Amino acid sequence: MAYDADLNFNYFGPTKVIFGPGSIGELSMEVSALGRKAFLVTDRGIIETGLVDQVKEKLGNLLAGVYADVPQDSGMDVVDQGAESALASGADVIVSLGGGSVIDTAKGMCIVMKEGGGLKDFQGMQMLTRQQTPHVVVPTTAGTGSEVTSGAVILDKDQGQKIIIFEYFNTPRVAILDPRMTEKLPANLTASTGMDAMTHAVESYVSQTRNPISDAAALHAIKLIVKYLPMAIENGENLMARGQMQIAALLAGWAFSNAMLGLVHAMAHSLGAICRIPHGLANGILLPHVMRYNSDEVSELTADIAQAMGVAVSSMDVSTAASAAVDEMEAFIRSVGLDQRLSDLGVREEELEKCADLSMSDGSVIYNPKMVMDAAEVLNVYRKAY
Amino acid sequence: MAKLDVFSDEWCKAWEDKVKASKDFAVFNKGWQGDIGCVMLKDPDASVPEDQFLYLDFEDGVVNGIGMVDKEKAENAKFVISGPYVRWKQVAQKELDAVKGMMQGKLKLKGNLPYVVKYLKGVQESIRCLTEVDSRFPDD
Repeated sequence: MAYDADLNFNYFGPTKVIFGPGSIGELSMEVSALGRKAFLVTDRGIIETGLVDQVKEKLGNLLAGVYADVPQDSGMDVVDQGAESALASGADVIVSLGGGSVIDTAKGMCIVMKEGGGLKDFQGMQMLTRQQTPHVVVPTTAGTGSEVTSGAVILDKDQGQKIIIFEYFNTPRVAILDPRMTEKLPANLTASTGMDAMTHAVESYVSQTRNPISDAAALHAIKLIVKYLPMAIENGENLMARGQMQIAALLAGWAFSNAMLGLVHAMAHSLGAICRIPHGLANGILLPHVMRYNSDEVSELTADIAQAMGVAVSSMDVSTAASAAVDEMEAFIRSVGLDQRLSDLGVREEELEKCADLSMSDGSVIYNPKMVMDAAEVLNVYRKAY
Repeated sequence: MAKLDVFSDEWCKAWEDKVKASKDFAVFNKGWQGDIGCVMLKDPDASVPEDQFLYLDFEDGVVNGIGMVDKEKAENAKFVISGPYVRWKQVAQKELDAVKGMMQGKLKLKGNLPYVVKYLKGVQESIRCLTEVDSRFPDD
């Protein structure tokens, strides 16, 4: 894993992490340290699990209100509506309880609450010049890593594209990782969100902007996911496995927030925007195909992934080890019970060309280790995954 | 040929001519719509006592002009990129990739990032053309 002689990077990871079964008990103290009143952002599915009631109880009279209308692919209109409710409640701290869509919606709300206007006014990168509304994240999945990242992915319905809002000043202040908050996650969602974390780790490890700190986080995340994701799927109440998956997702989040992502995410975002394919499922299907597409460019790094996955042996040369990593990734995805082909998810073949075109304008494509020259190359990868 | 002072009209014209002469730029920028304002924040220690405002008028692969403008015109462009003078110097000398600089908070972008990414090769080509201009920076 050699680095260029002129290696230079910034590493940014300011979020306080509180981990452990029962750590949700720390929530009220963290909110009190950041402000006076908290506004809870969540979704209908989480209410049904009973987790919202638990969090409301922990917040007690610190709770100013709840917004639970976050859909799977949240949009700018949802963010603006949520921010309006939060401001009307008098809250000055946001608590998000949920998966990636909830957390990213809450991130958007933090900006609108502080700066005014609507989220569309803040399209760009690093535009903000002051700390945004304090945000405490309680993830209920182990995959997105959004609890520690500076980015939010929000659907712009007018443009029919997911946009990325990336702001250091909007990074969550606190992440509370309580494995009990994820134990009710169904096996299929455990698998797909876990593959989201795996994709973050792999893509950041081979990214053009990788660095030694993100690399360490990414490789350890891969090791944890290979060991603990099958255990978490087999027995959702295994808090050890749940907790280690939360840590893996967080490490992968730190890795990609600093090293960025690649072609898998560009293609998965496009599938999400055009075909409404859940992000983790799309990642899981695309990951081995993009690894194979990239492997001649980053064979040594892909061989490192083989080692992290436990399939590299000393007799293998770099090329063989890289191939073993791709093969093992395909086998791993099969073993966790996820779909193997885009056609299994109901994607129509005629939609792939539009997805390929859209992928070329996704921010993630810039950092892919192999320069993606045109949409035809992307379409070719989609077809292999179809 | 004498070096050209950065931010001078001659320097802007030399850069504009380089971009106009680039066949790659015409191809990579095909379809682009929207002007670009660049805000270079003052740095008195580097002999840049005032903010500088640069305006790039590109349209569908054609260069309509590159020039220094007033604050209002630069800040009202469809895309506005701003940052300290030293960061812009790094970009102009190919020491800093503009998009990487945005991700790291060294430069700020106001505007639709996916749109910029779609035409990234055109952006990169215009910066490559700038590196061909024999430039004299205020703090050289």
